[in-house]
Amino acid sequence: MARIVILGAGISGHTAALHLKRQLKNEHEVVVVSPNADWNWIPSNIWVGVGKMTTSQVTFALAPIYRRKRIDFRQAKAVTIWPEGDETNPMGAVEIVYTDAKRQGQTELLRYDFLINATGPKLNFEATPGLGPDHNSWSVCTAEHAAKTSEAFAEIVAALRRGEKKTLVVGMGHGSCTCEGAAFEYAFNVEHELRQAGVRDKAEVVDLSNEYELGDFGVDGMKFSQNGYLTNSKIWTESLFRERNVKAILGAHVERVDPDTVHYEQLDGSKGSINYDFAMLLPPFRGVGLKAFDRSGQDITEEVFAPNGFLRVDADYSAKPYEDWSAADWPKTYQSPLYDNLFGIGIAFAPPHPISRPRTSVNGTVISPAPPRTGMPSGVMGRVVAENIAHRLRTSSTTGPKTASMATMGAACIASAGANLRTGSAAAMTMFPIVPDYQKYPLTGRDTKSTTGEIGRSGHWTKLLLHYLFIYKARALPGWYLIPE
Amino acid sequence: MDNVNQDIANAPLPTRRTLKTRQSLAYQLLRFALFNVRMLRMVGKGHE
Repeated sequence: MARIVILGAGISGHTAALHLKRQLKNEHEVVVVSPNADWNWIPSNIWVGVGKMTTSQVTFALAPIYRRKRIDFRQAKAVTIWPEGDETNPMGAVEIVYTDAKRQGQTELLRYDFLINATGPKLNFEATPGLGPDHNSWSVCTAEHAAKTSEAFAEIVAALRRGEKKTLVVGMGHGSCTCEGAAFEYAFNVEHELRQAGVRDKAEVVDLSNEYELGDFGVDGMKFSQNGYLTNSKIWTESLFRERNVKAILGAHVERVDPDTVHYEQLDGSKGSINYDFAMLLPPFRGVGLKAFDRSGQDITEEVFAPNGFLRVDADYSAKPYEDWSAADWPKTYQSPLYDNLFGIGIAFAPPHPISRPRTSVNGTVISPAPPRTGMPSGVMGRVVAENIAHRLRTSSTTGPKTASMATMGAACIASAGANLRTGSAAAMTMFPIVPDYQKYPLTGRDTKSTTGEIGRSGHWTKLLLHYLFIYKARALPGWYLIPE
Repeated sequence: MDNVNQDIANAPLPTRRTLKTRQSLAYQLLRFALFNVRMLRMVGKGHE
């Protein structure tokens, strides 16, 4: 009987766990290690952040699901891996520290036959002085953060109703952030709620981003075929900004967040600042900080992980200029090149490079979106790695047959622009593939038939439908596996 | 870098007809169906 240990129970890790259990039944052991007791449908945190949903609508307890599915659940965080085993035992091991009330602080060494690192990001608020809900700005990265943010937002709306004028800044809290789409969503949901409250005229809404131009979204922008023309996501997004009177500060790296001022540097080297009354700024991501040691106890962290803390996988990490980037640089199996039983999926794998053109300011500051790894590809990675491990266990082979490169996979991104069945809307986009492949699609890098964008009420309905569908799926209710990732 | 707000100010605005179709129940029901079919096709394509 083999033991497969999955670190993390987010979209990627939880998907991997459910598929593994479905494929392997009780023949092999599936263990999930997660410091959080709950699963969170992160895309809907935006709505929690403006008070349209509660935390209970976007989270549920993991333990009962895993109990029902006979998946061994440890509420703990992983700290160290020994991919070669240790002096006493050559079997791979991971050290975990329990975070549940009963065993808080206790450590345990879990041996594994396969290890899937699906730990997601460390929310690196510390990268920018003053950033984060413990300091001067709000966040929607977790359901709890979003709930507190909605309280602060409600106070702003109350002040606006009293006739006060306010400035709301939404965006990126560092030059190397990802999740530009999420910040866009939050900005436009805020704008929508201000209009619904009848106070829009008293509020200035500003999107502060590290994108070079609007519509980049960390994927180097998109080209859409519309009415016989190839238009681009820059114009499309600018149009929405104009329509809704949202201002923008672009190409910005936030240096510091004071209680009422955000200080930033821009690509031309100029320094700027904006006074605010409410700021929701996302943090940059890095790996959770796992360490790795070889059998003799030597630190091999730098060989196993990239400098940003994400796991090196089967990607081409050689340094190359943007013009030489290729779809082939991107991983397919998410397998460590050093250990064939170690995988990194979702946000936990180290991308070979960004998707958007990298830029630095004239002072050398990186001001460039990191590549997004959104829900859809993360779920697919989880499923494919699970299926490959199951295949290997059944056939005793050393590789699995399936691949899940972001350069051959598409994604749908529904950026909510207001949560209401009648008055809401969303910018609904599809892109294929996620990572542009200029060899296959020389004109735009993507298939223009499958790369589309439209704004309308139906986008909101789709996002709401996906909310219910994916929570149903994650709860492993009957037929869950019929809902595609 | 205020070019961006200049670009925003010069961006095309949707026509009245476009604004109506964005909210039209019948039209949006059709767009909902088509978008979800497109999404499923794309998911299937990526899973091959």
